[in-house]
Amino acid sequence: MADVQVPQERIVGPQTADDDVLRVEHVRKSFGPITAVRDINLHLRKGEVLGLLGDNGAGKSTLIKILCGFHRPDGGTMWLKGEPYAPKSVLDARQHGIDTVYQDLALVDQLTVYQNMFLFREKIRKPLPFLANHIMRRETRKALEATGINIPRIDVPVARLSGGQRQAIAVARTISGDADVILLDEPLAAMGAKEGALILDLIARLKAEGRVSIIMILHNYIHVFQACDRVSLIQDGVIAFDRPTAETSVEELNEIVVEEYRRARQAAMAEEAGVARAEDNGA
Amino acid sequence: MAVASGSTPPAEAEPKGPAKGWAQRAGALSLAQRFLTLREGSIIIVTLIAFLYFALSTNKFLTSSSLKALLPYFAPFAIMAAGQVFVMINAEIDLSIGAVYLFTPFIFYKLNANVGLPLVLAMIGALIVAMLVGLFNGLVVSVVGISSFVTTLGTLFTLSGLTLIISHATQVTTPGTSVVKVGTFAQIFGGGTYSELFWAIGIALVLQLVLTFTRWGIYTVAVGGNRLGAAEAGVRTKLVLTRNFVMCAGLAGFVGILEAVRAATTTPDPSGANVILFQAISAAVIGGTLLQGGSGTVIGAFIGAIFLGILQDGLNIKGVSANYFYFWLGIAILIAMAFNTYVSRVRTGSGHG
Ligand SMILES: Nc1ncnc2c1ncn2[C@@H]1O[C@H](COP(=O)(O)OP(=O)(O)OP(=O)(O)O)[C@@H](O)[C@H]1O
Ligand SMILES: [Mg+2]
Repeated sequence: MADVQVPQERIVGPQTADDDVLRVEHVRKSFGPITAVRDINLHLRKGEVLGLLGDNGAGKSTLIKILCGFHRPDGGTMWLKGEPYAPKSVLDARQHGIDTVYQDLALVDQLTVYQNMFLFREKIRKPLPFLANHIMRRETRKALEATGINIPRIDVPVARLSGGQRQAIAVARTISGDADVILLDEPLAAMGAKEGALILDLIARLKAEGRVSIIMILHNYIHVFQACDRVSLIQDGVIAFDRPTAETSVEELNEIVVEEYRRARQAAMAEEAGVARAEDNGA
Repeated sequence: MAVASGSTPPAEAEPKGPAKGWAQRAGALSLAQRFLTLREGSIIIVTLIAFLYFALSTNKFLTSSSLKALLPYFAPFAIMAAGQVFVMINAEIDLSIGAVYLFTPFIFYKLNANVGLPLVLAMIGALIVAMLVGLFNGLVVSVVGISSFVTTLGTLFTLSGLTLIISHATQVTTPGTSVVKVGTFAQIFGGGTYSELFWAIGIALVLQLVLTFTRWGIYTVAVGGNRLGAAEAGVRTKLVLTRNFVMCAGLAGFVGILEAVRAATTTPDPSGANVILFQAISAAVIGGTLLQGGSGTVIGAFIGAIFLGILQDGLNIKGVSANYFYFWLGIAILIAMAFNTYVSRVRTGSGHG
């Protein structure tokens, strides 16, 4: 599917604004024969919340993992706060101020809530390099209270928590740091209605502070219009649509996606017909 | 006792928060159950049962000569198991430690007798060679991506063969040992009666501290529990894996030297070395380290090694014939493991240990 040729006119070209925090041009990434991200142009303004939509397998998570330093892109250029940006590792990206909530959450079942909250961010007691567990417990409690989601105990392995609770921990871990660009890959996927609202509230609060800029992958259009300033749609590894949420509607987004679906179906039917004809000819 | 992640850290004296809930829950549990919430609880019970059984059913078991015979038996496994625990928590296994155990004392011998290095330098040199073997294992597993079972199986045969080649399959007198007088070097490194015991206790304590209270330990659990997730969080998983293989091989080499010094001869016996490999893995597994990774304790493995030592010593004293020895050893290990699994189910209160 990813290897279908994308008509050039559908690719949204590079755009810039003076207050861009992050700018991405012609970024691409393949895994062996599979092209996950074909040609992505994207920009994120300071203090903005950008919603990223797209079908399963469209390349959204791959793009996020390129931005956060987990994958190295095959090509393209990136700028962060006006400087060329080519993160060498997840740690490098974080030191540049980019932090991520992954789709798979990146939690370790066997570690406790507070150990996961501080995974690769551990507080160390000096002079011996021992973990400062008391500080980490205290700060975990504070960060979780800020989310408002009920996690009764922070000394239990996260394997014993519900899907939504685990997601809350992953979100709290990222937003309680001091990153100023936050990437969230489907942060509401496992959340109940109330918990989802709590997380969106939290994001609204962060936005009100004006310090952070956010890219958020979502599947629910309602959430997009609730939380985002702008929405981009990824199809087959390119950005095919990009508009401020104020200038578009659920109907328009739906129409684009359905249109894409229709096109794909027609292509498939044409192919089937072609195969059938070829078989007829062979017989 | 300090245990690895997943167990409950000491309750804090705070009026509010999770610590209080835990304290109340714990108060409601029976004493026995509370004891079993220690990950090592079940192996402690199994070991006590074995101890009492042999103490009551034979009258020679509790004599000091019998207990002294037990020491050199369990200490080597305890040290080797400590390294293996780190590798196993990483969800890997190191099958080459028996071969490293066999190979290292010959390097020690060569560096001293042929190259002319003083004892301590020869030992350090031999340990570096052992750790290079671990480095090779670690890099092949983490960078090339070959399973550790296959990689270390290859290293096992290669090193066993190499040992036979360089030793011409003949035993030598371990440097620093002499029949007349045990020198200071030998006293410290295996020759003294309690030397291996002290090393085993010291190494187990230090490594348990590392596992529970340092980033190295947390990352070891993280890499074994969720390798992709750990990498996404930023953990350098290849470094963590390689470091643990290096440590595991270094400890195996160290035990090889301790045992060669204790016996005063260095013997090229690959099959004996592999028995030690399996005993070390057994000690780790009996002590509660999971083969699927993400969980384990060094102290548990230490007690597991004591259990194996008691079993060996006890069966010897009971006069079990050599033919029956491994049979009963195997049965006892199976029973211990079954009990261990059952008890850890009680502990977690669920269907999975
Ligand atoms: N590590 C990888 N190795 C090989 N292929 C990969 C890898 N990661 C992603 N892919 C492939 O790249 C394509 C895009 O995947 P990606 O995870 O970015 O999609 P997505 O838009 O996040 O989808 P979803 O909505 O299901 O999360 C898919 O075809 C996927 O199979
Ligand atoms: Mg995804």
